[in-house]
Amino acid sequence: MMRFIRRRWRRILYITLPFVVGLIFSLLAQLLIPGMFPLLTSIDFGPIALVFGMTIRNPAVVAFVFGFIVTAIILFIYYWDRRRIAQTHTLYADYLQEAGDKRKNFLRRLDHEIKNPLTGLRAALVNLTEEKTEEERERAVGNAKRAVERLTRLLTDLRKLSDLEERAIERFPVDVPELLDDVVTAVRILPAREKREIHVLIPKVPSPFPAVIGDRDLLLLAVYNLVENALKFTSDEDSIEVRALEDGRSILIEVADSGTGIPAEDLSKIFEELYRGSNARGTEGSGLGLALVHRIVTLHHGGVGVRSSQTEPRGTVFTVRLPRR
Amino acid sequence: MSLDRPTILLADDDPTISDSLAPFLERAGFHVLAVSDGVSALEKAQAHHPELIILDVLMPRMDGRETLRRLRKLNIWTPTILLTQVGEASERALALEEGADDYLNKPFDPHELLARIRAVLRRARPGERSLSAAWLLTANDLSLDRRARRATYAGKVLELTPKAFAVLEHLMTHPDEAISRERLLDVVWGWEYPAGTRTVDTRMAELRRALSDDPAEPRFIETIPGEGYRFIAPVRGEG
Repeated sequence: MMRFIRRRWRRILYITLPFVVGLIFSLLAQLLIPGMFPLLTSIDFGPIALVFGMTIRNPAVVAFVFGFIVTAIILFIYYWDRRRIAQTHTLYADYLQEAGDKRKNFLRRLDHEIKNPLTGLRAALVNLTEEKTEEERERAVGNAKRAVERLTRLLTDLRKLSDLEERAIERFPVDVPELLDDVVTAVRILPAREKREIHVLIPKVPSPFPAVIGDRDLLLLAVYNLVENALKFTSDEDSIEVRALEDGRSILIEVADSGTGIPAEDLSKIFEELYRGSNARGTEGSGLGLALVHRIVTLHHGGVGVRSSQTEPRGTVFTVRLPRR
Repeated sequence: MSLDRPTILLADDDPTISDSLAPFLERAGFHVLAVSDGVSALEKAQAHHPELIILDVLMPRMDGRETLRRLRKLNIWTPTILLTQVGEASERALALEEGADDYLNKPFDPHELLARIRAVLRRARPGERSLSAAWLLTANDLSLDRRARRATYAGKVLELTPKAFAVLEHLMTHPDEAISRERLLDVVWGWEYPAGTRTVDTRMAELRRALSDDPAEPRFIETIPGEGYRFIAPVRGEG
């Protein structure tokens, strides 16, 4: 009986000893030359196991196979890891490339936005000094003022954007129906917009409409920009709807119009800073309105999207999705 | 310096600005001393004792903020307008320490600057610290701790949103002065936009509720139709 147990023990010892010694060797290697791990470990594991296995004779083959498998696994992990790092590098390079492109685009567009009013301003100044009649000079002053207004507006919007990068936003309950009413009232007093019909649709049931947590002033600015945008790209015959919905998880604010619609190739870019769609080249505005909307909604952990069609049924719908509480 | 024409010291390093503003202010009835950096502004302020100082913030040799701090350290309390914006709370605390009487953000309309100059001069009490530099403002039973950003009314702490507090702060540092909604937007929100004037009204309603101030018979904030608001209670500043 005792002999049987002793033989068992010896067998277990034969099998485990090579691995234990191999492991100790690899740990030592790791301590002494840490940079070489894991390649060194995987290389020395197999031979060490083989040498020890042979000196203890019996389980040499088992030890060798085991060492081989461990080596293979470690090598596999090593190369897989290298590939993942390489992938991350590529992703990062792409990201840098994209950020660089964005910056270049932004500068190019900014240059364009400044160039126009500045050219107008210079021409107006020349006219102001050279024109003989009072009437002509007055016209030049008017043009200069308009150019300055445009530049001021651009600068104000740029500052709003950069402000939003830094400032912490307020988080208080905001009454959505009241917010939409305020937007519509504010838009109506804009010159040449008094006669435009803007419908506000708010579900009456369940009541009251759930509040959004956020910065009321910023949300007002976002919706205002969307409505102003809708007014800009529609004519007197078109209709505009501002509506609020909720689906239990989020609150949706939609600004819809029956205007000419946005060309498909522009849709993905209209939230970019200073981007002007092909049908927006002639219109006034800083080119930052929608970028501001995007920024504000993102700060509220929400999202903004757009769908538009230039064929029947024609129109554009901007959707702002804000989380409930 | 010159007789009965108030002297204004204008410090801005951009000649296109000072060359245009100086004649404008001269036409408006002021005597203008123009300098292009902080060090000369400091020297001129000590030598000529102007009635008012306008400082740009970014200037060579010494910036506007540092110039103002040195002036105040020298116990020179000449009313000062800083050409910058005070937006963030940290900046507000800084502004308080500097003790500027008013702020104006570039780009501005020269008429707006003129309006600020006149308002500051009207408010100024020569040689004294202005309300803008006071840490604690009191008006009847309302008190405003600007350092702690806390308002108390009749012994109770008011629950105000940060914006409402900033509105109250601006009104109390400019008592008895008609302040337009646009101006409040510019000062408190940092930017103005068409829908913004309603934003101001919303905060004002919040303030009035907190102060139980009846717009029909106001004790603190009076509405001036077509113009804006005015803080009518007498304000005292401490510290």
